[in-house]
Amino acid sequence: MLKWPVLAAAAFAVIAFAVWRLLPGGQSPTVVVYVSHDQVFSEPILKDFENETGIKVRAVYDTEETKSTGTMNRLIAEKNNPQADVYWANEPIRAEVLRQQGIAAPYISPNAEGIAGSFKDPNGYWTGFAARARVLIVNKNAGAKPDSLLAYADPQWRGKTVIANPLFGTTTTEIAALFVLWGDERAQAFMSALKANGIKLSPSNGDSADLVAAGEFAFSLVDSDDVVSRMRQHQPIDLVYPDQGADGLGCFLVPNAVVLIAQAPHPDVGKKLIDYLLSKETEAKLARSDAAQIPLHSGVDGPPKLLPIDKVKTTQVNYTEIAAKLQAIQPFLKRWVESGS
Amino acid sequence: MTERLILILATLVLALIGLLPVAAMLKETLIADGSFSLDAYRALLASDGQFAVLVGHSLQLSFLTAVISTLIGVPLGVLLGKTDLPLRGALTLLFTAPLLVPSYVLAVAWFSILGRTGLLGRVLPDAWSQEISSAFFGLFGCTFVLVTAFMPIAMLLTIAFLRTVNPRLENAGRLVSGWPRILLRITLPLMAPAIVFAAVLTFLLSLGEIGVPMYLRFPVYPVETLTQFAAFYDFRAATVAAAPLLLVTLIILGFQTGLHKRVLELGRRTPNGQVVVVALGPWRLPLFLLVLALAIVVVATPLGALVVQSSSLEIYKVALFRAGDSVLRSLAFAATSATLLAVLGFFLGYLSERRTLPIWWANEWLALLLLALPGSVIGIGLISLWNTKATSFIYASPAILVLGYVAQYAILPMRVVAASLGTIPRSLEQAARLSGAGWFMTLREIVAPLAGRGLIAAWLIGYVFSLRDIAISMVVYPPGSDTLPIRILTLMANGAPSLVAVLCIILIAITLLPLGVAGLWLKVGAKRP
Repeated sequence: MLKWPVLAAAAFAVIAFAVWRLLPGGQSPTVVVYVSHDQVFSEPILKDFENETGIKVRAVYDTEETKSTGTMNRLIAEKNNPQADVYWANEPIRAEVLRQQGIAAPYISPNAEGIAGSFKDPNGYWTGFAARARVLIVNKNAGAKPDSLLAYADPQWRGKTVIANPLFGTTTTEIAALFVLWGDERAQAFMSALKANGIKLSPSNGDSADLVAAGEFAFSLVDSDDVVSRMRQHQPIDLVYPDQGADGLGCFLVPNAVVLIAQAPHPDVGKKLIDYLLSKETEAKLARSDAAQIPLHSGVDGPPKLLPIDKVKTTQVNYTEIAAKLQAIQPFLKRWVESGS
Repeated sequence: MTERLILILATLVLALIGLLPVAAMLKETLIADGSFSLDAYRALLASDGQFAVLVGHSLQLSFLTAVISTLIGVPLGVLLGKTDLPLRGALTLLFTAPLLVPSYVLAVAWFSILGRTGLLGRVLPDAWSQEISSAFFGLFGCTFVLVTAFMPIAMLLTIAFLRTVNPRLENAGRLVSGWPRILLRITLPLMAPAIVFAAVLTFLLSLGEIGVPMYLRFPVYPVETLTQFAAFYDFRAATVAAAPLLLVTLIILGFQTGLHKRVLELGRRTPNGQVVVVALGPWRLPLFLLVLALAIVVVATPLGALVVQSSSLEIYKVALFRAGDSVLRSLAFAATSATLLAVLGFFLGYLSERRTLPIWWANEWLALLLLALPGSVIGIGLISLWNTKATSFIYASPAILVLGYVAQYAILPMRVVAASLGTIPRSLEQAARLSGAGWFMTLREIVAPLAGRGLIAAWLIGYVFSLRDIAISMVVYPPGSDTLPIRILTLMANGAPSLVAVLCIILIAITLLPLGVAGLWLKVGAKRP
């Protein structure tokens, strides 16, 4: 009675395992990359790299569920026996944390030459490329349009605003930037004002964008790619670059960053991948794709639905300072999140 | 001698796979700057009132989910496993489907229906849709989604354990009473361990759930673990944050042990695998319509939303092109883990049931604790233990995933096999041994064939849970070897909803594949003379 189902189960296991074993194939050089940029945008770039160089890419991607920090935490956990050669971070703060923990190795790519100094580590521990802008997504039926982050504290918008959980992702980075630019006292007062004005929290920028598009809230601070994707879906939303006035802070930019891992198993192919990611061609592809990333090299066409970088007033910041501030304000942010709204 | 040796070996395997990674993590929490320290635990206790609020939310959500899932799942299991209701097999498969999909995906599917601009929101008056949408984002929505996801556990365990009830007792009852009274006074009390186990399992799975509460903005305690990992990059604090979950598990386990002991003794006296079928008579059609309505609400609606989003064949081609490898890998990893889980579960289940070694209870406790631990903690433990130069060949290969699945889900096949063995009289084994058969021969020729259905169920349960796993896979999957649920999650960030929907449907299909094969086999087997 038992024999054939057991045999069937065993055969199923063996066949499935054999199929899997056949998949990797070949003896071509391999580079291992951990990616916290969205897979849907980063995978095609890595496939192109494979096709153009013959170097096999084995990637680990992040998920929204780990708030895009899963791969970084894995790099930290694997510190004593690194498995990865390269880390493609979706913002420079994570790269900076790796530098501080001794997990990043210096590498100055020849393709980093055209990228402004404010977007890269001076010693080559990380290099930024292809940025997102932090913008306001506004529902078309919201009536008036907010034009500044300060609108979050304006009684006109009481109970009508949402923001991604500031403990995670680019929202944390931008709030840390506000602490750097304004000082702790003013930034804390602003955060308290948001709470008093009935701000709601969402799990991620993507969720915030969906909630605004669905009319649940009037506006939210999100990444530019979140807005562009909803525009392409013909959702009833507008994009607003915040704080563009003469005294305004400007729009905060969050570039991707690439890091060579210290004691990487394959550093040479790792450097080739870094060169590829920092090239103008890759920036152009990321600009044309649904990721709508803003190129940091001059002379590369930007995403069609976004203004060129030189037409937008941007926030002037130092990412190393922001990384240090971010870790310092985490306990405050945790209390702020837990205090309820 | 052989028996004791093999059972000790099985115990050691579970300890190696499950206990060592956790011990490695635990050690990290007790050492600060090279010396013993309880600072991380003190910091947890010193945290403000929010700790109690979050734990309260978690207990509230888990309790409601466990109670409602059991209250619906058990009667449903009885209807599908013991009556002449039409289309029982098809309905059982249909109700099982939500268990096969990551619950986060279910929440997204429900949002596309219940959200203010969702399918329902568009046809209802604005005030109503606003009301439903706000209720959905909170305890109500979380409980609703988790009940739809976990209710099949109570249903499936009820169907499986109905076979452990001695039909003679029910037949005796029929001489003096009708079926409703027999079910309430004889059948269900005899199955109490299975019902309690289903409730406990649902409680523990809900307790560790992160995706649905985060998506529906209901703050629960496991988010604390995630926050420590994701926001503070603090592995020590993250592991310590899992301690209250372990404490709750231990309390439940302690409570359950007594009940388990008392009632299982009764169930063990059931040598017959036959189920007495309840003829529903005039209630057949109304009950069928009721079950059908439930299936439409809790299964067809969210899965239908996925189907509506994936109506183009072109999307299936794109999905297979982009995720074909992940599908094959998922099949391979889940099948391998299921086979190991069934083999390990057989020996550990045998030990639990026959209690040959005095430490049988240690396996039960360890396995249940491993199920209750957040997968991310087990994952980090696996990294701490296996990511060394000497063991890279395991860590950098899919073996690490298989080890993780076996560790976290060992309790499931173990319990299923133990329940199955409970129906086999020991006298059969004793007779074989007296006739000169060794222990292995007795297992091979007597015990395993008689526990065949239980073993198949153990394999299937191991397969389903390994296939849908996210928490462990996310932390340790080898570079370039993602599984289908991971690919679904990574594509959910800005991926086309139609592509995500198709991948969910493929995930359901590959999960149902062996379930369908097993169902066919049972059908063919039943027709044989």
